[in-house]
Amino acid sequence: MASISLGSYDNTKEIPGQRAPLVTGDNNYQTVTDQVCLLAEKPKIPPAYFVALGISLIWLVILKMCIVHLLLNGVGVWGNMSPVFWGWPIVNFVFWVGIGHAGTLISAILFLFRQNWRTGINRAAEAMTIFAVICAGLFPGIHIGRVWFAYFLFPLPNTMLLWPQFRSPLLWDVFAVSTYATVSLLFWYMGMIPDLATFRDRAKSRVRQIVYGVLSLGWTGSARAWSRYEKAYLLLAALATPLVLSVHTIVSFDFAVSQLPGWHTTIFPPYFVAGAIFSGFAMVVTLLVPARKLCGLEDIITLRHLENMCKIILATGTIVGYAYAMEFFIAWYGGNPYEQFAFVNRAFGPYWWAYWTMVSCNVISPQFFWIKWCRTNPIFMVVICIFVNIGMWFERFVITITSLSRDFLPSSWGYFTPTPIDVLMLIGSFGLFFTLFLLFCRFLPVVAMAEVKSIMPDAQHRDPDPKTAEI
Amino acid sequence: MAKYWRSLEEYYEQPAFHEYLHREFPEAASVIPEGVSRRRWLQVMGASLTLAGVAGCRWEDEKILTYVERPANRIPGVPVKYATLVERSGVAIGVLATSFDGRPIKVDVNREHPQGFAGSDGLTQGSVLGLYDPDRIARDVETGGHNNLYNAKDAAVLREKTKSGRKARTWEQFENFASGWLSSVQGNGGADVRVLASASSSPSRQRLKEEFQQTLPTSQWVEYEPLSRDNELLGAEMALGSRLRVRYQLENADVVVGLDSDLFDFHPDALRHSKEWANRRVPENGEMNRVYAVESCYSSLGMAADHRFPLATSQIGAFVAELRDRLQGVLGGAAETEAGHSDDPKRAFLDAIVDDLTSHRGRSLIVAGPRQPPEVHAACLQLNSLLGNLGQTVTAVSIPDADRPTHAAGLQTLVDDLKAGTVKTLIILGGNPAYNAPAELGLGELIAKVPTSIRLGEYDDETSDLCTWYVPETHDLEAWGDGRSWDGTIGIQQPLIQPLHRGRSQIELLALLLNQSVKDGQGIVRQTIETLVPGTSGRNWEKAVHDGFVQNSALTPVASPQISGDLEGQLTSWFESIGSAASEGDAPAAEVVYLPDETVYDGRFANNAWLQETPKPLTKVTWDNVAIISPNTAKKQKLKDGDQVTIARGDYKMTVPVFQMPGIADNTYGVCVGYGRTLAGHVGGCAQDDVPTVGSSTYDVMALGAMGYDNSVKVTPVGASYPLATTQSHWAIDVAGMNEIGKRVGALVREGTKDEYEEHPSFATHRVHMPARIESLWEERDWTGDYQWGMSVDLARCIGCNACTVSCQAENNVPVVGKDQVARNREMHWIRIDRYFVGDPDHPENVGISTQPVLCMQCENAPCEQVCPVAATVHSHEGLNDMAYNRCIGTRYCANNCPYKVRRFNYYSNALPLMEEQKQLVQLVMNPEVTIRSRGVMEKCTYCVQRIQNTKITAKNERRLIRDGEIETACQEACPTNAIVFGNIQDDQSEVSRNHANPRAYGMLAELNTKPRTQYLARVRNPHPSLKDTYYLQPGEHGHDAEHADHGDEHGTHHEAEHGHDDHGHGDHGHDAHGKADHHGADHGHSKPAGTSTPAGTSSPAGTSSPVGTSE
Repeated sequence: MASISLGSYDNTKEIPGQRAPLVTGDNNYQTVTDQVCLLAEKPKIPPAYFVALGISLIWLVILKMCIVHLLLNGVGVWGNMSPVFWGWPIVNFVFWVGIGHAGTLISAILFLFRQNWRTGINRAAEAMTIFAVICAGLFPGIHIGRVWFAYFLFPLPNTMLLWPQFRSPLLWDVFAVSTYATVSLLFWYMGMIPDLATFRDRAKSRVRQIVYGVLSLGWTGSARAWSRYEKAYLLLAALATPLVLSVHTIVSFDFAVSQLPGWHTTIFPPYFVAGAIFSGFAMVVTLLVPARKLCGLEDIITLRHLENMCKIILATGTIVGYAYAMEFFIAWYGGNPYEQFAFVNRAFGPYWWAYWTMVSCNVISPQFFWIKWCRTNPIFMVVICIFVNIGMWFERFVITITSLSRDFLPSSWGYFTPTPIDVLMLIGSFGLFFTLFLLFCRFLPVVAMAEVKSIMPDAQHRDPDPKTAEI
Repeated sequence: MAKYWRSLEEYYEQPAFHEYLHREFPEAASVIPEGVSRRRWLQVMGASLTLAGVAGCRWEDEKILTYVERPANRIPGVPVKYATLVERSGVAIGVLATSFDGRPIKVDVNREHPQGFAGSDGLTQGSVLGLYDPDRIARDVETGGHNNLYNAKDAAVLREKTKSGRKARTWEQFENFASGWLSSVQGNGGADVRVLASASSSPSRQRLKEEFQQTLPTSQWVEYEPLSRDNELLGAEMALGSRLRVRYQLENADVVVGLDSDLFDFHPDALRHSKEWANRRVPENGEMNRVYAVESCYSSLGMAADHRFPLATSQIGAFVAELRDRLQGVLGGAAETEAGHSDDPKRAFLDAIVDDLTSHRGRSLIVAGPRQPPEVHAACLQLNSLLGNLGQTVTAVSIPDADRPTHAAGLQTLVDDLKAGTVKTLIILGGNPAYNAPAELGLGELIAKVPTSIRLGEYDDETSDLCTWYVPETHDLEAWGDGRSWDGTIGIQQPLIQPLHRGRSQIELLALLLNQSVKDGQGIVRQTIETLVPGTSGRNWEKAVHDGFVQNSALTPVASPQISGDLEGQLTSWFESIGSAASEGDAPAAEVVYLPDETVYDGRFANNAWLQETPKPLTKVTWDNVAIISPNTAKKQKLKDGDQVTIARGDYKMTVPVFQMPGIADNTYGVCVGYGRTLAGHVGGCAQDDVPTVGSSTYDVMALGAMGYDNSVKVTPVGASYPLATTQSHWAIDVAGMNEIGKRVGALVREGTKDEYEEHPSFATHRVHMPARIESLWEERDWTGDYQWGMSVDLARCIGCNACTVSCQAENNVPVVGKDQVARNREMHWIRIDRYFVGDPDHPENVGISTQPVLCMQCENAPCEQVCPVAATVHSHEGLNDMAYNRCIGTRYCANNCPYKVRRFNYYSNALPLMEEQKQLVQLVMNPEVTIRSRGVMEKCTYCVQRIQNTKITAKNERRLIRDGEIETACQEACPTNAIVFGNIQDDQSEVSRNHANPRAYGMLAELNTKPRTQYLARVRNPHPSLKDTYYLQPGEHGHDAEHADHGDEHGTHHEAEHGHDDHGHGDHGHDAHGKADHHGADHGHSKPAGTSTPAGTSSPAGTSSPVGTSE
């Protein structure tokens, strides 16, 4: 039953003709289950967890206070002004939606491509997706001037026969993000059912039995159940895959469909998707490196997993860099003077610092991952990934704010200055995100146990053709 | 929270205020739904409904009953206009005030008035807000709040300072005092009585003044205005032998030379000047005039001028001397130096002026501003006479009170008397001398020492605070009165509302003090007018009241004013003296020019939030005054925008932030007066309630003899910076931005020279690349029906005066947001005036200014509509881009996508402050036909859709179509130069259609396929041929090449169809091999090189100056 029993086995080495194992250490099915369940069952919770949760909760409360302040007083508590009518809230929205891309990409697309290494990380990544989408959904919701009329955005039948305006990308956004959130949630939850059943079966207390019992929807582990499960999982994966591409495409339409110089470009959809995956993976690495340490999951979320993610970050980061260059090229080649200025202004205008922060974080920093040491050293890669996330936040800042601040008429140009509320709400959204993630680590299966077991060496030997079990 | 007023919290928290509120608004105060029974609720609601319709009558309980029989022509809810007048610095302006159910809500000029104004100015427009100013209540210092008893019939609205403190007093008590007072001072003929009055043109006040002087023959009557035009009178006295009022006829002037002149700004006839000037600026109307301005700081004339030369105010005299020598020489037969041969810009400028003046004798005009000494005015009159302009472009009228002491001399005498302690009673009528007399006189302390001082004033302000009696004065819209406009026409002032704070007018107070038999305003005025103009009784009186003026009462011009014989000698010696003074002393290190303020005037409008928030035409600064300086001065003194400097004259000093503007004379610090009020109220600053002052006061440093400019001051940087709220960013901007603005301005504000226009009338449409065919993503409407609304804005006429902005604010209930919000670019004005600099800041004589009113373009293909997710902004079938405020949820996407940035967002609840108890009075100024927008919605210009709808209803009732010109938008109605025209573009004959068909017409950013319904008419400048190469006209990124390069076969027809010019030769060249230079040279040459100069305005890099179009 053992996997590779060498304690310090480096599975990042490429040995020709031999697949690197995806679970290291002296692990068998039982130990995998034990390891994953440990945090939820026998809380020998490290103090670091409480410190982290405490800090997150404080920021969550601050976020809530800011929202109350906002609702009582109005959008003016932010720095938004003319011509920068969209400020940090929209930057944060796009940033969080971007983060929310990695999870579903890992679960769905990598699943379809039979990338078995996804199994170790997909659960946490999906959870991260859900939480990031929650953070993302928060901002446009409270961003509008009259929050109490937000329901106008939905096509609800009403006596005035008024419909939303279907030409507006903001409306597409409402549909895209809510669809994505729904499908991601379903996908995440459905994938979790066998593991929840494991939790249920191992539960000692009545409360846990009931809660996990309800959540696991009467999962028995029968072959029939597994068969249905696998099919449903495949279907959802197929459904989620186009969504990964569509959500950020549509978010990019918020910008691309307008006629603002710097927004009105056709490169936005692929560029946004690449950027989203880029930032999403960076966030997964940022989260998982400490999480695998804290939860003792180094054998399941191995260095090889991290290395693979670094490779994806390198690839998407390079795509993003290419997009930056291409934007400039097209601005010059397209001959539109307003667009030309928009890009000159990005790089050399009053927001030059934001632009160059973005370029150095997003284009230069991932290039370190060409070096193997860099992409196999967890601490270094976290540092790089934090830079990437800073850079990706700045990318949205540059696109949103720099473009808006200087558009067509120089008379209405203006320099945006955030207010303390802007800053508190950005940090507060991280509070929300980390609170949810930390609660997830504590109460839900952080690793897809069932799936990990399917890629352990003995799984391959014992049950070479699971179809034979089908009735 | 947004603050409509500044820091009012302190204000509400005064217990006295709450008490006042309960008495003041008992119905509002008791509608606190705390433990209200159903029965009580119904009572309150019933009462509210009853009171709702009669808000305007206010507290006159007997009047809230509905009419049993409605008076003829009185339809509730239909606004009525009344002719009346408002007075400013002793000049009346005939106005039409709009009254809505008994409350005046808007003031526009009376176009039928013989003074001949087409529109108004921002100050007149803003004056209506002052009527409802809650601060116009006597402040009761005892309780710290405001006097709170004025609601009752015997309201104690007056205040007396007694030994035991300040006491509230009723009118009855004052009347008792007054009768005793008169008998007590009559004994010695009033030898210890002094009157310090604001200037007034009122014949009634003049009559009462004479009667006052008869009753108290040894009393002294002094008039004082800080912004005095006495120098003009003294100049006329020197030149013409008597104090005549000089008037200018710009319609006859082909050449105007303004020397530090305020012809379009603060001159009492400014509105007529600018109208007449504008009528001569439209090239299709015939020969254009040409304007030269020589000035230290910008005036509207300078901003509108064809050529402007920055020169220190103190140097204007020397300039006049030079001009005089040259003109006398040329007219005396000396050979004229041919213009255009000097490298010295000043010399070249002078050459051009001399050339123009001598070739337009009898049709030119030289005019100096009120800051200039009498000798300069006399010299201008002499030169005008020499050029044959006297009687043509310059006329003179004699005025009734020519023998009064000048403002400065009068004030000095009064101060001397006060210092001697011989004054026992001081009566101060209007004005605010304790604030706006130079601090060095110490007038405030002297007033406080007078045993009996009676102050009649609209506010309990700096002066009232020092006086023993404070007596509230009526607003112009509350009282009967009369006044003469600048042409001398007698106007009748009729009240539109009962005095809100039980004030009385100056004439009523005088009649009371003199114990006259007729004490009511109407009686006094009738008495005066009937004596002055025989036959104005009965129907004629009614007609005069209806019209707002007495027919044919204008002063007749002096038949043939003659230059006095000894003028030449006087002037020669004076010019010699200033010449030698200039050569002896070093040039002064700094010169401060005290400028009247475009928004608060001399400080009297300091508590008017509309005006405080109106951006200054040049600097676009709100809520502050600044010292404008040239970039050179800034560099020399190492100052940045917002850095504070101290301006000191001896011990008297003020601290003010600097603001760079190219085109200001070096070493000049231009500071606006009227700021630093310490007891203005809760908008303009109130020390007693801890409301900070707005800006700083120039009167603190002024000397009585140098209230126009002063070069004996010392300016020292403080080393601290001060935040300023501007609506357009500073001139000092980063290099990338500056370069881009330089490239862009020419395409936004399109300008050409007269030659260019003559060569190619549709030059403006070629300033940018306009693709031949742009298709919309969406199905486009066909615009049919009776009405399609459109607008045209003629940039050739615009002087950037702000009248439209304030008028729009009054009409459309545009909120005021306060300085901190303006600093965050959250101002709400629906129409703004963009201001751009063109030219080379290193050659200040070549810096020009372009102004451009920007309002919603009502794009047919509106970018805002396509992105609104909730269909809150949609198009009407008449072509209006409508806002459904109720539908708007405030995503602000529309504003992001609006290329003109004319949408305004309510970041906070700007209407909420109006609902606060104490400010309910301000609600009365709101136009009930326009929604008050809530927090979180977008708003913008609607072409005054309420006016369109009203007129449509009228027209429909009369079964006809709306006539052209029947609807005027608020901005159009206010525009003094007729630059804005609104109408139906479906009608080919309408003025707006003709303007749209004008070859100068262009749509701003129309290349984005927005199809704007507002079209601009390009500005045409009329430079002197010899100055063309120095006068740089911004060609912009000319775009011409691209245009032709792109166009296909239909190119020629496209242009001919659209612009109707067939001399263009588009068909000849395709899109292949034309290089840029080749293109222009060969085919177009829009402005042919004239003479030796390089062509300005088109393709070639003009002259040596680089196209640094500087900031916005």
